[in-house]
Amino acid sequence: MKRTGVYGIMAEFDSVHTLLHAANRVREAGYKRIDAYSPFPVEGLAEAIGFHHDEVPLVVLIGGLIGGLTGYLMQYWISVVSYPVNVGGKPYHSWPAFIIVTFEMTILFAGISAVLGMLALNGLPMPYHPVFNAPRFAFATKDRFFLIVFSSDPKYKPTEVRSFLESLQPRSISEVPD
Amino acid sequence: MTQGPVQNERAPVIEPGYTLGSVTDKISSIVLTRPTSNAWFVGFGVAFLLLMMLLFAIAYLFVKGIGIWGVNAPIGWGFAIVNFVWWIGIGHAGTLISAILLLLRQSWRNSINRFAEAMTLFAVASAGIFPLIHVGRPWLAYWLFPYPNTMRVWPQFRSPLVWDVFAVSTYATLSALFWFIGLIPDLATLRDRSEERWKKIIYGMLAMGWRGSARHWHRYETAYLLLAGLATPLVLSVHTVVSFDFAVGIVPGWHTTIFPPYFVAGAIYSGFAMVLMLAIPIRKVYNLEDFITERHLQNAAKVMLATGLIVAYGYVIEAFMGWYGGNRYDAFLLWNRLHGPYSFFYYMLLACNIVIPQVLWIPKLRSSPVWLFLVSGVVLVGMWLERFIIVVVSLHRDFLTSSWGMYYPTRWDWMTYIGTIGLFLSAMFLFVRLLPMISIFEMRTLLPEAEVKE
Amino acid sequence: MSAAPMRNLDLMTPPVVKTIQQRSLIIGLVFGGIAALGAWHQADEFFRAYLMAFMAWLGVTLGSMAILMLRHLTKGAWGMVIRRILGAAMRCVPLMAALFIPLLFGLRRLYIWARPLDAMADNHLREHLQEITKTYLSVNGFVIRAVFYFAIWWGLSFFLTQWSAEQDHPPMRDNSTRFKALSGPGLILYGLTITFAVIDWIMSIDPSWISTIFGLSFLIGQVLSALCFAVVVERILFRYKPMSELLKPEQVHDHGKFMLAFIMVWAYFSFSQWLIIWAGNLPEEITWYMRRLHGGWGYVGLFLVLFHFAVPFVLLISRPFKRDITRLVWLAAWLLLMRYVDLFWVIEPNFSLTFNITWLDVVVPIAMGGLWLAYFFRNLSAMPLVPAYDVFAVEVLEVAHD
Repeated sequence: MKRTGVYGIMAEFDSVHTLLHAANRVREAGYKRIDAYSPFPVEGLAEAIGFHHDEVPLVVLIGGLIGGLTGYLMQYWISVVSYPVNVGGKPYHSWPAFIIVTFEMTILFAGISAVLGMLALNGLPMPYHPVFNAPRFAFATKDRFFLIVFSSDPKYKPTEVRSFLESLQPRSISEVPD
Repeated sequence: MTQGPVQNERAPVIEPGYTLGSVTDKISSIVLTRPTSNAWFVGFGVAFLLLMMLLFAIAYLFVKGIGIWGVNAPIGWGFAIVNFVWWIGIGHAGTLISAILLLLRQSWRNSINRFAEAMTLFAVASAGIFPLIHVGRPWLAYWLFPYPNTMRVWPQFRSPLVWDVFAVSTYATLSALFWFIGLIPDLATLRDRSEERWKKIIYGMLAMGWRGSARHWHRYETAYLLLAGLATPLVLSVHTVVSFDFAVGIVPGWHTTIFPPYFVAGAIYSGFAMVLMLAIPIRKVYNLEDFITERHLQNAAKVMLATGLIVAYGYVIEAFMGWYGGNRYDAFLLWNRLHGPYSFFYYMLLACNIVIPQVLWIPKLRSSPVWLFLVSGVVLVGMWLERFIIVVVSLHRDFLTSSWGMYYPTRWDWMTYIGTIGLFLSAMFLFVRLLPMISIFEMRTLLPEAEVKE
Repeated sequence: MSAAPMRNLDLMTPPVVKTIQQRSLIIGLVFGGIAALGAWHQADEFFRAYLMAFMAWLGVTLGSMAILMLRHLTKGAWGMVIRRILGAAMRCVPLMAALFIPLLFGLRRLYIWARPLDAMADNHLREHLQEITKTYLSVNGFVIRAVFYFAIWWGLSFFLTQWSAEQDHPPMRDNSTRFKALSGPGLILYGLTITFAVIDWIMSIDPSWISTIFGLSFLIGQVLSALCFAVVVERILFRYKPMSELLKPEQVHDHGKFMLAFIMVWAYFSFSQWLIIWAGNLPEEITWYMRRLHGGWGYVGLFLVLFHFAVPFVLLISRPFKRDITRLVWLAAWLLLMRYVDLFWVIEPNFSLTFNITWLDVVVPIAMGGLWLAYFFRNLSAMPLVPAYDVFAVEVLEVAHD
């Protein structure tokens, strides 16, 4: 990876339409390492910047399965193997009663997996990130939309990228220092 | 075509004229720039005093033991369990609003889900206190969890009380996670809007470096939807398990199969009543009538009406089966409710939960905040009485006449109960002051600016 | 208000409906004839099969009414496309009322309380039934209550149909206020009447057993049957105009989601009832499950757990599956069959300690189904598939226009 001292070139947009349009154009122009920033989730934006594989559901599925298995096996082992106690003549292996805790453990593990999985895949928490250096980027959490072409993109050439972005009617363009 | 979009027929979810910027400013300014009013200090002060009363009551309890309460044999479950069920039930509306209405694509939820979720958390916290202090030796409450120990004993998984430990702790954990995940983008907004450095640092740390990347949003939305999908059966299971605490026993009045859905409906009923009791003053005080509109109040009222009717169905079928089933103990329970020493409370319960809320059928009253506030208060009282009837009336006269008794709450019971209201309100006051009480990013998605046209 | 939103799309049902109607009628009559022979020779078995078949088809009828009222209260395009299918099913109430009459000839064969001498012979029942047979479980009471239930169902279906029919002709109108005013109380009435009807017709077969969730279990079963039936019909119509233009994957997706929700609620109610009775383990309650878990019936129960809940649940989690009508329809048809198996498992063990199925259990529901379907398709072809002059029909008609 070439170090240029520049993280990327960032364009600021006024509306979600111009951002979406620009993201599609940039991707179609062959840029691979791009990202877009918006103050709320925009339908189709992730696809527009070429993001397709969302692994969160898989993480949740695995988490849920582990939770459910843990829950049932734990109860089985405790009630049948480790500490068998006769309660009201109920069998040691009282499966109807075990379903409740199995269910709760499934939900607990799946839910925690959803949160931690999402954060981990997103690389959060990450208090410092170069894009925060972009001027006016604070408005990405209010009412502005941003699109960046990273300098690590194989097609990245500062002047070309800048002029290409300029053709997409941005509000402003800036270079983001690394 | 002359008709506009169908939505225009009803009151709007958000009043027209707002932009991404103005929505952000309006909600975040409540936290960041608006001076704290004297009314807030007075309200918080009162709530805080009640919280101190709770701590005092609990401290005295730890010194003296649960003999200071009204519980006795045969009524081993007194106020503690009544209040536990009442608070847990109230919590349910928050999850219902944030999870179930999200899955049903009811976008009107976006302006009330945040504070409804906060309400859930604080209600669950208030609820959680009761079983812990009710166990008699609260310093050993961790025995409820399965952990390897030198005594080589384990919890007994055929008991609904252990199911409750799992259900309530799962519920508390997931509610907190759901709430926090929902807050992250808004915390980032507060980080970027704060003027003072220390606020930037605190909100920045909490926001975990959220920057609104499209990839992040995609995973975020997936996780949020999946959490909603998990929270929906979870919230139903929690009150179901609470109902099992009663129903798997064979005490007349407890052992009945309608309990699970009937408890869940009752929980949502009281929860929406609490949402309305909080939302009506909050929207007035913080001028949020444009975001929490008449439509929200009406929808909440309709949910109350519907769930209230399911609760009424429960009463009808329970009473009918008490007669039809031909079991003398069930029949006596019915008689005892209607004519026994606590009959006044049973009639009060019928009035509060079934009769009075029927005024919500009248559209005019349904859109009047004052009426809604009053009816909600009545429902909260009614649902508390319902749990009182279930716990106390069923226990005080069961199979053996020789073991009949009466239950009278003591001042410590009342102090603990009212004290938890103080805990709940103190937390709510702090919440509206320190965090955005309306989800800013979800409100943005409701604006015309956010619509993506092909 | 402008003129009709879609002048160029014929909203009437395709001619194939007539063909299906005729074939259903033939099947109904042929199987009905065979079943009548059975009624002559094996009257006991006939009436059991008849009760099950009656409950199964009543489920589709009343469930459709319930979903229709729910739609009127909540709106949404998912309901508009199946609205008239549900309406046609709902208008089978008179047919179900007529089909109820033969049951009256089998009361003594089905219900022990209708045979006072037998009830007296059983010590446990005698004590139990003394009061209740005098006041509630009597032939007169049974008939009077049934008339009352059918009157309510017929009344609801009458007004819902009447107001809906108005929306087939100009001018454009908005009947939603009226619909809402009826549907709210209508759903309450449905919930209460079906609960008490099920107590009379099913629960009282074993008069010593009670379960307060029983009515709700039947209610959710009926709604599930109706939804599955509507999906099957929409699939048949999807091959032809106008349904091929109207039905979009989004609406199929919604139907799939409802299906998922309903099987989850069914499982929730069934499990709750089982757990509470299992844990309580009271002799007067657990016997109900003892019968249904032993003597071969347990396998039917296990089959229900797997194929009424677990497998459909896993399938319905998948988003592409829910959106594809050509795949969803198979599950819908399967679940209709499972609804019948569920009824079989609830009703038949009352009469037989060991697993027992007769040819009548197959023939009678087909016979009744043939007649029911013939009547249903007649109802369906009587009205357009979408009320073009309902202001809310725009949401499906406009999409079809694009």
